[in-house]
Amino acid sequence: MSDYVFNRESIRSFHFIDCQFNAQSGVATLQYAFDNGPVFAEQITFPGAPFVLDNVKQQALTHALQTLHLIAGVSYYKAAVPETIVIDHYTIDADTADFLTSIYENGLGEFAYRNNLSLRGKIKFPYIPSSGSLSHLLPEREGKTNASTLGLNNHALVAIGGGKDSLVSIESLRRMNIPQTVTWIGSAPLIRSCAERTGLPLLNITRQLAPEMFAMNKQGALNGHIPVTAINSAILTVAALLANANQVVFSNERSASYGSLIEGTGEVNHQWSKSWDFEQNFAKHVQRFIASDLYYYSLLRPFSELAVARQFAKTDFYDAHFSSCNRNFHILGERPAQRWCGVCPKCHFVFLALAPFMPKPRLMAIFGRNLLDEPEQTAGFDALLEFQDHKPFECVGEGIESRAAMAALAKSPSWREDFIVRRFAQEILPQLDNQDLAIAPLLIPDNEHAIPASLWESLRASFGA
Amino acid sequence: MFAKSNVPPWVVLKFGGTSVSQKHRWDTIGRLMRERAEQDQAGVLVVVSALSGITNQLQSLIDHADNEAYLADTLLSIVNRHTTFANELHVPLKALDTRFSELKALIADSRRMTRAYDWQAEVLSQGELLSSALGVAYLKIQQMPVAWLDARQWLQAVRVPNQGEWASRLSVSCEYQGSDDWRERFNGNAKLLITQGFIARALDGKTAILGRGGSDTSAAYFGALLRAKRVEIWTDVPGMFSANPRAVPDARLLTQLEYQEAQEIATTGAKVLHPRCIHPCRDLSVPLWIRDTERPEMPGTCISQSSEKHPGVKAISTRNGIVLLSMESVGMWQQVGFLADLFNCFKAHALSVDMISTSETNVTVSLDPSDNLMSSNVLDALCNDLSQYCRVKVITPCSAVTLVGQGMRSMLDQLTDIWAEFGRERVHLISQSSNDLNLTFVVDDTIAQDMLPKLHELLIESGAMPVEESSVFGPSWQDIAFEKKPPVSHWWQRHIPRLTQIAQQGTPAYVYHLPSVAAQAEKIKKITALDCRFYAIKANAQPDILKVLQQHCFGFECVSVAELEHVLKIFPTLAKERLLFTPSFATKADYMAARKLAHWITVDSLYPLQHWPELFSNQPLVLRIDPGYGLGHHSHVKTGGADAKFGLAVEDIAKFVAQAKAINARIEVLHAHVGSGVKENSHWAQLFAQLASYADDMGTVKAINLGGGLSVPYKDQEHEFDIEGLAQALLDAKAQWPHYAVWMEPGRFMVAQSGVLLTQVSQVVSKMGVHRVGLDAGMNALMRPALYESKHRIVNISRQSATTNKHFDVVGPICESTDVLAKHILLPADTQEADVMLIDTAGAYGFVMANQYNKRALPREVIIDV
Repeated sequence: MSDYVFNRESIRSFHFIDCQFNAQSGVATLQYAFDNGPVFAEQITFPGAPFVLDNVKQQALTHALQTLHLIAGVSYYKAAVPETIVIDHYTIDADTADFLTSIYENGLGEFAYRNNLSLRGKIKFPYIPSSGSLSHLLPEREGKTNASTLGLNNHALVAIGGGKDSLVSIESLRRMNIPQTVTWIGSAPLIRSCAERTGLPLLNITRQLAPEMFAMNKQGALNGHIPVTAINSAILTVAALLANANQVVFSNERSASYGSLIEGTGEVNHQWSKSWDFEQNFAKHVQRFIASDLYYYSLLRPFSELAVARQFAKTDFYDAHFSSCNRNFHILGERPAQRWCGVCPKCHFVFLALAPFMPKPRLMAIFGRNLLDEPEQTAGFDALLEFQDHKPFECVGEGIESRAAMAALAKSPSWREDFIVRRFAQEILPQLDNQDLAIAPLLIPDNEHAIPASLWESLRASFGA
Repeated sequence: MFAKSNVPPWVVLKFGGTSVSQKHRWDTIGRLMRERAEQDQAGVLVVVSALSGITNQLQSLIDHADNEAYLADTLLSIVNRHTTFANELHVPLKALDTRFSELKALIADSRRMTRAYDWQAEVLSQGELLSSALGVAYLKIQQMPVAWLDARQWLQAVRVPNQGEWASRLSVSCEYQGSDDWRERFNGNAKLLITQGFIARALDGKTAILGRGGSDTSAAYFGALLRAKRVEIWTDVPGMFSANPRAVPDARLLTQLEYQEAQEIATTGAKVLHPRCIHPCRDLSVPLWIRDTERPEMPGTCISQSSEKHPGVKAISTRNGIVLLSMESVGMWQQVGFLADLFNCFKAHALSVDMISTSETNVTVSLDPSDNLMSSNVLDALCNDLSQYCRVKVITPCSAVTLVGQGMRSMLDQLTDIWAEFGRERVHLISQSSNDLNLTFVVDDTIAQDMLPKLHELLIESGAMPVEESSVFGPSWQDIAFEKKPPVSHWWQRHIPRLTQIAQQGTPAYVYHLPSVAAQAEKIKKITALDCRFYAIKANAQPDILKVLQQHCFGFECVSVAELEHVLKIFPTLAKERLLFTPSFATKADYMAARKLAHWITVDSLYPLQHWPELFSNQPLVLRIDPGYGLGHHSHVKTGGADAKFGLAVEDIAKFVAQAKAINARIEVLHAHVGSGVKENSHWAQLFAQLASYADDMGTVKAINLGGGLSVPYKDQEHEFDIEGLAQALLDAKAQWPHYAVWMEPGRFMVAQSGVLLTQVSQVVSKMGVHRVGLDAGMNALMRPALYESKHRIVNISRQSATTNKHFDVVGPICESTDVLAKHILLPADTQEADVMLIDTAGAYGFVMANQYNKRALPREVIIDV
């Protein structure tokens, strides 16, 4: 593997070779290659083996695994972005090809920008036109619009990321008596600590990238953002079948659909695979090809960041455990400074979003410092407020949410004298329209979501309370 | 004095949750009971807590009182835990039958629905009732004549003014004066007793709970009531320390304290003992003795009224989560009742004020952390009320750093260095109590913890904390907790004759021991996550040393073109990839020259890319980032943060990346280095995570260079850097980002301990009580003490066998007042002219910084290769 030769310029095609699942060991193997070069493989290990699978389940699993194979391939495809894509051992139909093209084009948008590439219109997945259905894969699909019903249990696999969002989902499901398994991929200690804190059953999936990736990197592979939420969604779908669970639950909010724009592009959503667009398409794909009783949805889709922050603030159970900071994220420490860097947009936003909804001393205990009384953080908060042409470039809430939160603090007797709040009140507030500064309208949920009807009323009620 | 002469006295022993949860510890409890009975000719009363974790589970039964499924699960878990432990102890289960059925009856009890306080108290009491029953049954099997005592028949709650219903049931105080009648009845019990901590009899005769610090307080009440010979609190720690041992490994065990001091220390941060339990013992002069169950041989901390006074700082503690309210007003001060108005607001919101400072236009007060502040909007409400009278600013989060000890007032002159240390930070409030026991500084929460080790060290150095007073100060935490290592043997101890010979050929002379360099290189090999290592040659560029490191697969990090040329002169065929150029504020010419010699060129600001793009376009780049904070043993060696000249600020990364893209330069390596002498191995993993997350945004990065800065022990008490810990931390971190190679560039760590500076004594002089040894080398030969206040071990190798018994300052020959190599160190009293003095750990930043100031010649350099 270390002698893997990678010559980016000469590569013409990317091959999705095949994918297997070993029910004895719980290991899924996803194979890929460039041109006719050596095959390399990613391995994903699902705890709980050996698994016993009947025929119908096996078929669903095959489809779920192929979906995963096709989506996870983005990590390797992007190393060389060759013009041709080949799927060697199975076929897909036109809808699936469209779906994948959209994941690759949108999910690699930022990557393409950073690497000076133009990918739109150039990513073409080979497909078998469904009218002539030669697909050996989908013979049973003639005339059907949905995959088989598997009789899955009423059980949710909830993705946990260590931040406030997934914890809000987990507590909401708990309140609604949905049995759930807290699921994550990889070995981040902070996520494990949060997951253990929930006291719920845990599922930790491990993902091992093809080791050839390192050799490729050394030899000039292209690097950059990939649509990781899409990959994780596909992994959790496989896990749900293995666990007989009928729900895969993510925690993406309304704001993720608009996302943040990449400086200079004017169009690339940094977090596209967290968007409503992706969620709808992925859910549809799952229902059509994998299992008609498997539901993929984001429990927080209709809510604003502020609504989720308010919900999070209702319990202090996770205060000393969670972190939304992307910088200090993966290293665990008991002091706040080890969980929150305090200078990144995520830290700024989560601090600001929680502040109106919890006592100040509690927020201080979470962050260990008062970011709003540090004059050097002014520019960071200005960016959140979208003041003076600044804009945030990370996954944070909308400017209107930040402005409303700041306006609320400007009225609070315990906050209004803090440096950045005071400056806001004196310099920025007079330029803003008072009508846009209320928090209450921002707490009203949207109608755009795929939350099962049986949960929606109860969820809305608990967010409203 | 109280006990009738024919009645034996009592000794009260208290054991906490972890002590009663393990079989071998119950054996210890039994043994201690027998020993005390025999040695003290006393009755022994043992007070126990619940098994560890049980009280929390009982509390959760109360919290989830409406969740039947949860109650059933938790009840089962509690029963199983005790059953399993009973089986392990070979105690028949019938010993617990009554308890289990009582617990089950409580779950079925109708009071559950209203969570009635009396019901809560009964639920919470079950943990201690169970553990004490288990203990009695177990010791009885050992043929010990122990009896079970129901604490509720002996500890009586008292009515406290303004006490609410909750407190009168779940946070009670008890009567502890007792009467002769009470004692006479108590003496009717068996002489070996086990009872429950935490519980007492309520005013209505039912069960009450003591609340926080409960079991310790129970023991103290019993001690006071019985006029006990002493109360022993057996815990998991050796006693009270001069600082929190987790933050200050050098913290000393306090073997003897006055009640008042202990009260202050317990109140200002130490969690060993709840402050509540000191008062009853103090009132009746019952000694309170903290002991360690796992280390029964340790002296522990004895709190009593000793006849001998020991002035001095006994401890430094921190309390975090302090909220300050700074209240500004103009012209109100003279008005009668102004302060009363303010304090009425505090009273109205049931918040208690701790510290206060006033000036003409400002009153600042501190609020202690309370559940109320954390869980309700009381702070907003308070500020709102106060704003009728003044402008209020909330300053938080703060920490109070408190020095505790008798005679604080008379020590202020010794605290100069302490004041100076606080002077570097934002101090919000200072308070000195008139009981002459404490001095408190309130600072930002983020810095308090980090200041502690330095403050503790300064207290010892200044003599304000008299650690040599062995009746008060015991061993340090690191000496207790970590296996005592044999005294470190230094390479030079095996080479004294050779070193003496070298010195005779002329001093000052640096001597380097090559096998020691190789040994350090082997240590770096243990960091298996490391893909590439560079030696920072600025630490020591001696050619033989470079050769050893080159043989150990090191590349070289150079900070100037001359350093690059120096390396290439020694290794003319060295691959360009093994040279890393990391300059600071280099000229364009420097970059041009370096480009030809080294593959890896570090840039740490936008300037070079903007002004000399032609030098960087189509080239790989190493970008040095300032992670925004600095670490290290001295402010001059911290290389991160706004005050540091090194590194690109995090907020400028986006601009830098855009500029690099514009000129087609590839950022292939991200680098950060935040200081020298960093001891926490978690730091590099943290830094790796931080840099890797920036790298993820760039897409072009292949390696992360974590710099160096690994600490080296200069002083006797310092420990070797934990290289295994670092190796593990990096492996863990790399598991998250396997796609980045990890680089490091240690300098000092490779060479510091392999070098010594040999000098000879010029004169020995006493002046106004200060003894000075003069050397023929000073800041001209070794700059570190003058530059960084570094402390090097100094040994008189001409008098190796002599005891070091006299304090000297060691000075050099340079006409500068800072030419002091060491202050107040112990040397043989008969040190004299021409003795050879060895300055240890001088292999790094020694010769390379030596200079010819005062026209003095440079030191020689000598190699030892065996």
